[in-house]
Amino acid sequence: MGNDTKENSFEEVEKTSNDEDEEYEDFEDDEASREIVVPGEVLTEDTKTFMPGRGTIYNKERTKIISLNIGLKQVKRNYINVIPLRGFYTPRPGDKVIALVIDKNPVKYRCDIGAKDFGTLKPKNTIKRSKMGSYRGGGRGSRDRSQNNEESNTSKFDIGDILIVKILSADRLNQPELTTVGKYLGKRNNGVVISIDPPKIPRIIGRNGSMIKMLNNLTNSNIFVTQNGRIWLKGEDLAHERLLIEAIQKIASEAHTVGLTDRMQEFIINEKKKRGLE
Amino acid sequence: MPLVIKDEYPEKLFREDGKRLDGRDLTELRPIKMEVGVINNADGSAYLEWGNNKIFAAVYGPREVHPKHLAKPDRGILRIFYRMATFSVFDRKRPAPGRREKEISMIVSDCLEPILFLELYPGTSFEVFIEVIDADGGTRCASTTVAALALADAGVPMKSLVSAIAVGKIDGKRVVDLSGIEDKAGEADLPIAITWYNEEISLLQFDGDMDLEEMNDFLNLAEEALKKIHQIQLDSLKSKYIAIQEEYSEEKGGKGD
Repeated sequence: MGNDTKENSFEEVEKTSNDEDEEYEDFEDDEASREIVVPGEVLTEDTKTFMPGRGTIYNKERTKIISLNIGLKQVKRNYINVIPLRGFYTPRPGDKVIALVIDKNPVKYRCDIGAKDFGTLKPKNTIKRSKMGSYRGGGRGSRDRSQNNEESNTSKFDIGDILIVKILSADRLNQPELTTVGKYLGKRNNGVVISIDPPKIPRIIGRNGSMIKMLNNLTNSNIFVTQNGRIWLKGEDLAHERLLIEAIQKIASEAHTVGLTDRMQEFIINEKKKRGLE
Repeated sequence: MPLVIKDEYPEKLFREDGKRLDGRDLTELRPIKMEVGVINNADGSAYLEWGNNKIFAAVYGPREVHPKHLAKPDRGILRIFYRMATFSVFDRKRPAPGRREKEISMIVSDCLEPILFLELYPGTSFEVFIEVIDADGGTRCASTTVAALALADAGVPMKSLVSAIAVGKIDGKRVVDLSGIEDKAGEADLPIAITWYNEEISLLQFDGDMDLEEMNDFLNLAEEALKKIHQIQLDSLKSKYIAIQEEYSEEKGGKGD
């Protein structure tokens, strides 16, 4: 069991934290401004020094800056941002997300990625191309070898499978296209998937991955955090997994408070003692 | 033999001491209680108790539109489903949506649309389900208020909240927030909704008769009441988060000392 988890360890920590440095680091800092704002709230009337950033707009006369979301007010240089506390996931190219296969036909899979559209996963995006000719069309040899004896191209995954996929393309109008070729991607056969509010994902990761590293070390488990609010995790045993899930839900509900990492560390250590896990 | 009870209205809508039948002053609101995040499986939700009105609202979206022909290629749509529970009124309400439900769904939708950025979500819909559990006058205003709250709780980007209230005339006097009986027996009622972004009127309906000159007074009356309602909306949205914040900031302060 112990060996197994080590073999399967994916170094998720580094990857997930590196991905979203630019966009999400701002959730963490500025401990001073933890002011909660709601839609329509006037953030400032000083439009000469400040400009509306993320989650904010001018009013019609450009005399005020107004919040669009329920979230935390944050001033960064001369921009005023609102970091949302609630919201939905909008797919962007390059995101790694956890998908559930909900339908398949001979040419593609349809996957629920927690966004407004279902993602499409084409079979060509599930197979790593070798140097010898491409998959279908280009390479006659590969077709003979791998495809002839199979009835359809979509026999690799089944409905109900949990996949970790990368989004290849996504825009407002078309269904996002997915791929399972890449590091850490592909089907997961074990573990648990839980989901939280997508805007709170940066908090689970923490600044430079501090929170997720802490969770990893203390509960000795594998965690894969994805941008659509779904988290794959696998612990040593059921008790550890249960503790980890509780911890993650606690982080999500207290995402807007200060000093969360230290508090969570305390919480986990205390709970471990209470439950006799160590 | 079905039991038929005729609607009987009292002759006077004011008590001896000059107060209204439920003991309110002319411009006094009924007690209002709001709460957000009451339905776990919805993307956003809110609950409102406004006098005897009890209303739930749940928001889902953005998601695919069904039936597909309703989807618009250039913008999202906002669909409101206003429904009354069968036990919400004195006589059993037939559960099928009737003319009234469809109308209220439409006006709430039209009222909330200007504050949303629907053009950012083409081909999708936001769906708001408003379920009236208990009704006692002014449910269209209450529904608008609670729907705006639920949308904000869902994290849908919006320019501002929307608040609504009914003002009217009963026994020749101008009053705010009509209850069910005042609504039916009164002379005029005027539901008003306001979008706080630019303070524009988003809904204005009228039933009964009054002078045109009185209109301004009614609008002024409504404005004051709407501000109170807006404040309750803001508080209910924030309170959930602030409570958690305070819990830990105190703890932290204690440690620092």
